[in-house]
Amino acid sequence: MLLIALFASLVFATGCGGETDTRPVITYSGSAVGSQGETVRRQIERFAKMHPEIVVRVQPSPDDATQRHQLFVQWLNAHVGDPDVMELDVIWTSEFAAAGWIRSLEQYSPTRGDFFPAAIEANTWNDTLYAIPWYVGVGLLYWRTDLLDHAPRSLDELVSQAERAMRASDGPPYGFVWQGARYEGLITSFVEYLGAFGAEIMNDSGDVVVDSPRAISALTFMRDEITRSRIAPPEVLTWHEEETRFAFQNGNAVFMRNWPYAYSLLSDSSQSRVAGHFAVATMPAAEGGHPTTALGGAELAINTYSEHPEIAWQLIQYLTAPEQQLERAAATGDYPTRRALYDDPRLAKALAVPLDQVRTAIESAVPRPVTPIYTELSGLLQVQLHRALTGQTSPANALHEAARQMKAVIRESGLDEREVATGSFAPAASVIPAKAGTHVRAGLDMGPRFRGDDGGGAAR
Amino acid sequence: MIARSNSDARLARWLVSPALVVIALVAIFPLGWTLWESLHRHDLRLPWIGQPFVGLGNYVRIIHDPRFWGALGHTALFTVVSVALELVLGLIFALAMNRAFRGRGLVRVAVLVPWAIPTVVAALLWRFLFDSQAGIANALLMQTGVIDKPIVWFVHAATAWVPVILADVWKTTPFVALLLLAGLQNIDSALYEAAAVDGAGAWRQLTRITIPLLKPAILLVLIFRTLDAFRVFDLIYVLTGGGPGTSTEPIALYAFNALLQNLQFGYGAAISVVIFLITFGLALIYIKGLGAGGAAGVEP
Amino acid sequence: MSVDIRPTETTAVDRAPEGRDAKAPAKSRPSTSSVLGWIGLAILVLLIAFPLYWAIVASFTPEATLFREPSLWPRTIILDHYRALFTTRHFWVPIRNSIVVAGCTTIFCVVVGSLAAYALARLRFRGKAFILGFILAVSMFPQISIVSPLYLMLRALGLINTYPGLILPYLTFAMPLTVWLLVGYFRQLPPDLEEAALVDGASRWQSFVRVLLPLSVPGVATTAILTFIYSWNEFLFALSFTVGPDRQTVPVAIALFRGQYQVPWGEILAAAVVATVPVAAMVLIFQRRIVQGLTAGAVKG
Repeated sequence: MLLIALFASLVFATGCGGETDTRPVITYSGSAVGSQGETVRRQIERFAKMHPEIVVRVQPSPDDATQRHQLFVQWLNAHVGDPDVMELDVIWTSEFAAAGWIRSLEQYSPTRGDFFPAAIEANTWNDTLYAIPWYVGVGLLYWRTDLLDHAPRSLDELVSQAERAMRASDGPPYGFVWQGARYEGLITSFVEYLGAFGAEIMNDSGDVVVDSPRAISALTFMRDEITRSRIAPPEVLTWHEEETRFAFQNGNAVFMRNWPYAYSLLSDSSQSRVAGHFAVATMPAAEGGHPTTALGGAELAINTYSEHPEIAWQLIQYLTAPEQQLERAAATGDYPTRRALYDDPRLAKALAVPLDQVRTAIESAVPRPVTPIYTELSGLLQVQLHRALTGQTSPANALHEAARQMKAVIRESGLDEREVATGSFAPAASVIPAKAGTHVRAGLDMGPRFRGDDGGGAAR
Repeated sequence: MIARSNSDARLARWLVSPALVVIALVAIFPLGWTLWESLHRHDLRLPWIGQPFVGLGNYVRIIHDPRFWGALGHTALFTVVSVALELVLGLIFALAMNRAFRGRGLVRVAVLVPWAIPTVVAALLWRFLFDSQAGIANALLMQTGVIDKPIVWFVHAATAWVPVILADVWKTTPFVALLLLAGLQNIDSALYEAAAVDGAGAWRQLTRITIPLLKPAILLVLIFRTLDAFRVFDLIYVLTGGGPGTSTEPIALYAFNALLQNLQFGYGAAISVVIFLITFGLALIYIKGLGAGGAAGVEP
Repeated sequence: MSVDIRPTETTAVDRAPEGRDAKAPAKSRPSTSSVLGWIGLAILVLLIAFPLYWAIVASFTPEATLFREPSLWPRTIILDHYRALFTTRHFWVPIRNSIVVAGCTTIFCVVVGSLAAYALARLRFRGKAFILGFILAVSMFPQISIVSPLYLMLRALGLINTYPGLILPYLTFAMPLTVWLLVGYFRQLPPDLEEAALVDGASRWQSFVRVLLPLSVPGVATTAILTFIYSWNEFLFALSFTVGPDRQTVPVAIALFRGQYQVPWGEILAAAVVATVPVAAMVLIFQRRIVQGLTAGAVKG
C-alpha cells in the first residue's frame, strides 16, 4: 500500500508540473553545453522577449552525434509536436526528410542564394529544401609555422615536408595526424583524399564510384602514410578529433587534419605548446584532383508534427540571421553559413582565423552523398576503409567490396530507380555551379520509387 | 495436507501476481511490438514501401548475413572469456571477503566501486589507460621491460580485445564476487571442520565442499553475467566502436546499428529476437546443467 | 591460485588479524597456500584499485598536462573540475534523481520481489517454472529493441520525464534479478524453523514474515545492493525517457558533459568519483546487515 501511495504521489508530483500558461510553447532541441549552449540560450531568450505571445523552451540533447540521432529518431517516430525546431547534423537532413519527419521549407520561400551552395545542396532532397544551414564545419589542415615556411602545395609536398621535419633533431614524432578510427570522422578524412585525387563516393547520376582507380589511389595514399612514409602513426586509426588535437597541441605533430573548433584551443597558450606557431590551410591535392574539404556543420529544421510551424520558422530565421551568426562566431568560433558575412569586417574581428583562408576552405567543401540511406552506406564504407588501413585487406579489395555492398543496399532500397511516377518528386540533378576551380557535385538526389509493388524486397 | 496445498496455491497466486502484473504491464507491449516488427519489412527511411508482412524473411536474411555471424562469433568469444575470468576472480574475492580480517568492510566497498562507475565513463577510462600516446598501460609495460615499444592496442584485432575484456572484468567482477559471497555465507562451517579433521587440504575443501555447495550461486552468476555479456554494447561502442574493421563488433552493436542508426526496424527487431532466443537457450542449458528446479535449489 | 577457504564463523573482526581465524580449530599457523593466497589477493586488489586511483588523480589534474605524458602521481593539483561540477553543472540534481530512481526501483523490487520469491521458493503450485522463466525472459531482450515501443507507451501514459517513467522500465531488468536472487536465497534456508512455526499454528504468511524474513536479512541486503547498483548504472532508458536536466540521472548527466568534439576529461572523471560516494554509502549501510547475517548464521551453525 505504502508503495502504491509512493508511486501515486510521484506521478502526481511530476505529472502536475505544467503551468496554467495558455500561450503556445515551442521547443528547441540541440546543443546546450559550452559556449555553443550559452550563445543559443541567450539568443533564444532574446527571441522570446521579442515575442511575448509565445513561450520558448530549450530541450538539451547530447552533443554526441550517435546519441542525439537516437533521441531524435525516438521523438520523431512518436509523431509528436515537440521539439519544434531541431539542430541536425548535416548528414541527417535527407534521412529525416525521406522519413517524413521534417517539413519542406519551400512554402516559406527561403533565400537560398544567401548561403554557401554546398551547404544548401546538403540540405536539399528531391529538389526541396528541408533545413537551413546554421554554421559550417570544414576540414582544415593545421600546420606548424615554426617547422615549415609554407603550407604544402601538393600531397607529395606534404609528405616530404613532414618527413624532413620529423628527421630534424628534436623534430616531432608524428608527421601528420588525422581521424582514422572507425566512425563518421574517417569518412570525412577520406572524402578529402578522394577529392584530392579527383575521385568521389558517388557520381552525379548517383552511381557508386568509390572503387574507381583514382579512389583506390587515394586510399592507398592514406595507407602508405602509415606503413610506408610513416608520417602518420598507426595510432591515428584509433583517434577521433580530440586525440589528434592533443598530439598536435603538445607539439608532437607537423600537420593535423581537424575542424575549426581546434583553432581557439590551440591558440590558448595555457594548455597548448604550439600557440602562435601554427596556421591553417586547405588540404592540398594530388595530380588530377582538387583541394577538397569535407563539409560538416549543423542545420536547423522544423518537426513535421510541430503545432506552430510558423513560429518555428521565425525562430530559425532569427537564429540564422546575420547578427546572430556573427554573435555565434565571436563566442564559439563557428563559421557562418551566409556568404555576405565574409566581406563583413565584424566577422574578421570575430574569428581568429584569417577570413580568406576560411572562405577558400568553405568554397572547396564537398558534401557527403545526400541520400536517406547515407548512414548505412557510410557504415559499410567505414568498415572497409578501416580494414584496409589496419592491413586486413588491400585498398583495392576493400573499395571493391564497399562498392558492391553499397550498390546492393541502394538496389534493395529501391532508391536507384530514377523514373518517378509522381510529379512532386521530379528527378533531380541539382548541380550547383561552384566557384572557381572548386568542385562541388550534386549528391544522390534520388526520387523514391512510388509504385506500391514492393514486399518481396526484404526477403532476398 | 490437501487443504494446505490448496491454500498454498491461493496464497502463492496473491504473492506472485503483483510482480507478474507489473512486469507484464511494462514488458508485454514492447516485446510483442518487437516480435511483430521482426515479421515485417519496416524501414523508417523508406516510408513509401509501407510495412509489408514478410514472414520469416528478416530471419532468412540474418542467416545469409556474414556480418551477423561475425558479430555472433565476437560476442561468443567475449562472453566466454570475460565470464570465465569474472567467475574465477569473483570466487577468489568472495572467498577472501568471507574471512574475518581487519578492514574487511573497506575492502568490500573498494571492490564494489568499479561497478558503480557508469559504463560509459569506465569505458572512456580504459580507452585512455590503453591509449598508445598517453596511456599508462604502455608506460608500465615498457618500464617493466615487457615490451620495448608502445603497442597500438586498438589497431589489431587480437590486442583490441585485451582492453575490452579487462575493462569488463574490472567492472563486473564485483557483481560476481558479491553474489558468490552471499552463497558462501550459507555454507555450514561445520562441513569444513569435519573435512579438516579428515585431513582434507584447502584445495580438496574447495573442490569437494565449496564449489558443489556454491552451485546455486554460480548458476545465478552464469545466468545474469552471460545475459549481460551477450548483450554487451556501451563498453565496446566507446572502446573500439567495433573496430578494427568489424573485428570486435558484438551482436548488440550490430542490432543497434540496424535499429537506431540505419532505421531498419524490421531487420533490427529480428536480430533482437535472435539475441533473445540465444540467451534464453543458454539460460536453459545452465539450469539443466547445474541443477534442476528453476532457480536451482540445492538442499544443504 | 588457491586461497584458504575456511569460512568465518564469527564476526570477530578485531580478533582475527592477518586473516587468521582465532577460533578456527583446524589450523593455527598460516600455511604457504594461505600466504600465497594473500599475496595474490593483494595484487588483485591493487589491479582493481589502480584504474580508480588513476581516475582520482586525473580528476585533480589540469587537462592540458593530462595528455602530455603518463604520470602515476599528480604534479599539480587543482580543484577546478570539482568546483565546476557543483557550480555550473549543478551535479547534485542528477545525483538526487539517481538516488530517487535507483532507490525506488530497489525498494519496489525487493518488497514485491520477495513476496513472489517466497511463493516460488516455498509454496507448492503449478506453473512455477513457467513464471520463473517468464520473469527471466523479460530481461533478455536487448534494451535497444524495446526502447522505442517503451517510449511510445510512456509517452501515451504521460510519464516521459517523470520518476515513475524511469522506475517502471527499470523493473524490466531489476525485477528478474531480485526475484531470481531471492528465490535462490530462500531455498537455501533450512525449512525446519518455518515448519515448526506452522506446527505451532502460525499461518503461512506469519511464518514468512516472522521467521523467514528475519533470517534472510543478509540475502535481502545483498540483493538490494545489487539491484541498486544495476539501476544506478542504467543509461539507455534514462537517456531516452528524460528530456531535461531536472530528471536526468547521473550517467546521462555525465554523457551530456561531452561537447561535439571535446571530452572534458577532468570533469567527467570528477563526476564519476563523486557519483560513487552515494553507492559506497549504500554499501556501507547494508554491509552491517550482511555482517549481522553472518553472526546469525554462526549462531545457527
